[in-house]
Amino acid sequence: MTGTAIALDHVLLLAATLFVIGLTGVLVRRNVIFMLMSLEIMLNACGLAFVAAGARWAEPDGQIMYMLVLSLAAAEAALALGLILQLERRFRSLDIDAINELSG
Amino acid sequence: MSGFGMELLGWVPVLPLLGFVVLFLTEGRLPDRIVAFVGAGSVGLAAVFTLLVSLAFMESGQAAYVHTFWTWIAVGDLTVNIRLYFDGLAMVMTGVITGVGFLIHLYATGYMAGETGYSRFFAYMNLFVFAMLMLVLGDNLLVLFLGWEGVGLCSYLLIGFYHEKPENGYAARKAFVVTRVGDTAMALGLFLMFRELGTIEIQSALILATDTWPEGSSINTVIACLLLGGAMGKSAQVPLQTWLPDAMAGPTPVSALIHAATMVTAGVYLIARTHDLFLLSQTAQLMVAVIGLLTLFIAACSAMTQTDLKRILAYSTMSQIGYMFFALGVGAWSAAIFHLMTHAFFKALLFLSAGSVILALHHEQNVYRMGGLRKALPVPFFCMTIGSAALAALPLTSGFYSKDEILLISFDLPQYGPFFWTIAGLAALLTSMYSLRMMMLVFFGEQRNEAHDHSSWNMTLPLVVLAMLALGGGWFGLSAVTGVLPDGGLGNSNHGTWLVWLTAAIPIIGVLLGFVLYRNRQPTEGTEETGLQGFLRRGWDFDRLFDATLVNPFTRFANLVRNEPIDQLYNLIVTIFETLNKSIVRTQTGQLRWYAANMGFGLALVFLLALVLG
Repeated sequence: MTGTAIALDHVLLLAATLFVIGLTGVLVRRNVIFMLMSLEIMLNACGLAFVAAGARWAEPDGQIMYMLVLSLAAAEAALALGLILQLERRFRSLDIDAINELSG
Repeated sequence: MSGFGMELLGWVPVLPLLGFVVLFLTEGRLPDRIVAFVGAGSVGLAAVFTLLVSLAFMESGQAAYVHTFWTWIAVGDLTVNIRLYFDGLAMVMTGVITGVGFLIHLYATGYMAGETGYSRFFAYMNLFVFAMLMLVLGDNLLVLFLGWEGVGLCSYLLIGFYHEKPENGYAARKAFVVTRVGDTAMALGLFLMFRELGTIEIQSALILATDTWPEGSSINTVIACLLLGGAMGKSAQVPLQTWLPDAMAGPTPVSALIHAATMVTAGVYLIARTHDLFLLSQTAQLMVAVIGLLTLFIAACSAMTQTDLKRILAYSTMSQIGYMFFALGVGAWSAAIFHLMTHAFFKALLFLSAGSVILALHHEQNVYRMGGLRKALPVPFFCMTIGSAALAALPLTSGFYSKDEILLISFDLPQYGPFFWTIAGLAALLTSMYSLRMMMLVFFGEQRNEAHDHSSWNMTLPLVVLAMLALGGGWFGLSAVTGVLPDGGLGNSNHGTWLVWLTAAIPIIGVLLGFVLYRNRQPTEGTEETGLQGFLRRGWDFDRLFDATLVNPFTRFANLVRNEPIDQLYNLIVTIFETLNKSIVRTQTGQLRWYAANMGFGLALVFLLALVLG
């Protein structure tokens, strides 16, 4: 264990920044693929927070949780890409605002 | 032999019923000549049978003859037979209904000629005669009530005979509803009588009542007053009189038959028939007298100012029936029935003559547009003169004998006698004045309208026969009811000669007074509807009173209920949830980014709350 340990506060701040960037991307982008990518950023922000917390208390839980987040992200990407293909096929568009048929 | 004659009684009501059935089932497909033959013939034959039955009945000297058709209802203690009861009172009534009824039917065959619904008219008229006969011949109160409602129905149908005009329908409904008020009272009276006495056979009920109830017993008074209520509705007595003037919307023969000669006197018959109940209750009997007195005076005043010929006669009918009620109330039972009979003669005559005048003027009924018709219409003029003289009760006419008797007996009444006599005498004075006014306006003065006499023999003959009856119908008195009614027949009032002379002189004074008043008066066409004249012309504003107190509040309530106020409450609940729903649905935009933003915002809110509260 060499080098200086990074303070937990800093890591969490980075995670929060990443999360907000991701959220902003989800809210601002209209292209579904970019929204998906923003979502991945948010997931990774969560993963970073887990890993940092696990390192801080020297527990394996944080890394295990990151494994779960990783597999979740993989599953989500597979499913979402499938849906995006279908969207493209039916609507001939990836603009999320144009796909609003489920309104009340 | 006499028994055979009386057996015919069964046919008397059946014949008009058969006439009705024939006319009803053929639905106007018969030619008019056959309709006239069936319609008038059935009643004519009934009149002949009535004459035979009456002769046999008088010969036999029985108190009453009973003719049973069949048992209608038999439940427990209650047995209702369709049974006819024929005594002196029923004889007079049946004679008037079939006799005068036949003459009016005969007249109507000419009067209604060429009208649409000729067959319908005679079907209703025959049904009416049947119902009226059941009313006077029924020996129990249920059959009487059946006839009572039957005549009410026919009255409704015939007032609204010219049903294309909505106001005639209104008049018919008004007559039906107003009489229904009285009928409800009467039905309650019958129920109460059945509960208290356990029988609805008129004769046994009356005997039972006299035996069980002491004089002035309250239950008896209540029953008598309820029956009086029914009689008031049917006989157009104050305050249930408002329907009669409007009932003149019907054809004139209908006014003559139903609203002058027969149906409106049913109330008088009812009270005379149940006289034992009224003898037991001084209160009820006094009420009969007071109501009669009020009506005869109010109606006589109103008759003074009417402009419509038929309405003059309607108010005079009301007034004369007031005299009959008054007579019943003061104990002049026989005189009341006597006046009923003579009134049927002269009022039918007056209405039929008026019908001839109206027909000759092409359905003009305003007396101010008549005048000077005595040369153009000699027969109606002659007949109406006799009728008016009898109405005014000029000496030697039939009306004189009956009305004189009533006035003289009323003077005898303890305590109120002279007061009652004065009012009734004053109304008699008014009667002769309005009779003269009517004659002057219609037949004298300058002629204001062309008249074409359309009378054929079948219209003239009834007029002449009725004129003879109106003139001589009172000469022989009325001995038939002597044994039936409690006062022992006519002519048992004994007074100082001054009163007799004064009473006899009242109509003559009235005629002279009327002559002075109306001789030179130029009737004004645009008669004002204000002041006392308008008040009297509108029948003392009873219509306005009832409209304001009963009709309008009821209509308003009905309109309110028509909008379903309770449903509105439930609709409110629905409305609340619908608005709520709509406002929430607006958030469901289908925009995925909007949902995501909301989720983020909500999450942030939750964390913020956890921070602040935790």
